Amino acid sequence: MFDPVLLSDVLAGTARLGTPIAFAALGGVIAERSGLYNIGLEGQILAGALGAAAGSFATGSALIGLGCGVICGLISGLFLGYMSIRLRINQLVGGIALNLLLAGLTAFLSRQIFGAQAGGARVEGFTQLHIPLLSDIPVLGPSLFSQDPLFYLLIGIAVLAWCWLMKSHKGLDLRAVGENPKAADLAGVPVLRMQYLAISVSGALAALAGVHLVLSQVYVFAEGMSAGKGFIALAAIILGRWSPIGAVCAALFFGFCDAAQFKLQFSSPEVPYQLFLILPYIASLIALVILGAKASAPASVGLPYDREHR
Amino acid sequence: MTMKHIVLAGLAALMLAGPAASDDFERAAIVMPGSISDNGWNQAGFEGLTQAGEALGFETAFSESVHQPEQIEVLSDYARRGYDLVIGHGGEFQDAVERVAARFPETKFMVNNGLGTKENVANADFYFSQIAYLMGYIAGSMTQSDMIGIIAAQKFKFTTDTVAGYEAGAKAANPDVSVLVTWTGDWDDIAKGKEAALNQISQGADVVWPTMDSATLGSMQAVQEKGVYGIGIYRDAINEWPEILQSAILDVRGNMHSYLERAAAGELDGVLYRADMSNELAMRIGSFHPDIPVEVVDEVAKLIDAMKSGALVVEPQ
Repeated sequence: MFDPVLLSDVLAGTARLGTPIAFAALGGVIAERSGLYNIGLEGQILAGALGAAAGSFATGSALIGLGCGVICGLISGLFLGYMSIRLRINQLVGGIALNLLLAGLTAFLSRQIFGAQAGGARVEGFTQLHIPLLSDIPVLGPSLFSQDPLFYLLIGIAVLAWCWLMKSHKGLDLRAVGENPKAADLAGVPVLRMQYLAISVSGALAALAGVHLVLSQVYVFAEGMSAGKGFIALAAIILGRWSPIGAVCAALFFGFCDAAQFKLQFSSPEVPYQLFLILPYIASLIALVILGAKASAPASVGLPYDREHR
Repeated sequence: MTMKHIVLAGLAALMLAGPAASDDFERAAIVMPGSISDNGWNQAGFEGLTQAGEALGFETAFSESVHQPEQIEVLSDYARRGYDLVIGHGGEFQDAVERVAARFPETKFMVNNGLGTKENVANADFYFSQIAYLMGYIAGSMTQSDMIGIIAAQKFKFTTDTVAGYEAGAKAANPDVSVLVTWTGDWDDIAKGKEAALNQISQGADVVWPTMDSATLGSMQAVQEKGVYGIGIYRDAINEWPEILQSAILDVRGNMHSYLERAAAGELDGVLYRADMSNELAMRIGSFHPDIPVEVVDEVAKLIDAMKSGALVVEPQ
């Protein structure tokens, strides 16, 4: 583990495997801070992945693919918002419904768009970006400073989101909505507008996870390619204590466990492989048990807000 | 009645009159664990049944993405509706099929890659280690680093036999070779498939054989990026990935066609139908990569002959 080449490999793998989880977790944090559960992250990853693949497939431009993916995420977020805010459906049920809908819809649409090539249609994607000077640092250079552009975007968004949420007036408003919407409403904060904003941004961020899978990793869309990352992201939100930076760190920690287990399989082939596969889950379970004691979830998360209700 | 319908009706009449169709075999259904466009196992099962149905003249139906809790319900539904043959596509259907088969003794059941037969439950699978031996032999002959890799999702008969055959073949070609084995635990997680291949390559492997479903796409992406060789599975994959040395074509369609022909003739028994290299319809190798020297190609041909004649027996059978 302390061999520099090995360490560099594991760190690069951490970034690759952790980035999609981190985007989704970031989306989840924004939604939950506004008082809405977003259980639909898993489906929204698929929506973003399909949008990215279709956009890039049609135009040959990765940037347009990125845009299409984000728009798909925004729309799915708005739809979830409509269900949770306007119709006041149970947010867990609404999110699960969205997951089922998007899993089927993306599979159907991908067969329509890519036809018989389904799973095999290659699209243009992003190439790795080597940051000058920094990418020459031993160990860290080849792993963390030679990643694809979306990894840097993730770091940028995480820092921005943290500053906005924790240091700005609007961010305070959003947190107030998640803690006590009645009080926020009385103070003149547009509660419903804030929630719609948060849930759409949340969908767009989850979609970026799918965009990363398609445009930075494998350059094809495959049905069910989210492979549970949206659910792992839900754990990362809790582990990250509902902080944007915390959630990203938690997601990268999951990525690290995944990356490390591939290395451990080589160094200890006599240990059953299943043990390595459950490593990320054991690690997060232990972390949750240790940190979970003082829960700091937003107080009103999951409760639909009704102005007329006393 | 449109033109298309008339043509279809005509075709159907022709097929019914054909010699292959039997009076008491009219309908067959397949129940699959995944999506019919996965470019792999499930797509092959779907196409295997529909194509055989068209060629042999019986009606077909399918259910896709059926998970463990729904298996019994879906299988019994087809049996209740009077289907003559109900196929569970994958060893994970074994238990459900056995339970349903006991309740519907008149219906024939088949488990593709099944794990046991009964009076009305047949199995069909492949002599996995045989073809894996050939892939290992080619990989062992082509490696420069004396290190090759194989990636599989979960440990069960198909994958352990494949790994064992691959290792035996590689050692036969090159006694110094070491074989890296990675288990990803997921057939469709493309990101993990890629990560597994990247790890094997950075460990020194210069031939990688991914044997998952959709996740194979991710592994091949890594093979292409790093400029090493890959090995294909299920179909002649060099058409999609020029880095492929050779492909282990486990033609589920061909294998299904063989047993569906028996079923249509009313001769399907509750036994195991195992395809080996002598059944070319079901199991064969694909095209050779142009980099492979002619001596290796000749040697592989000799190995195949030895397998057919029984002179070379690959374990586990």
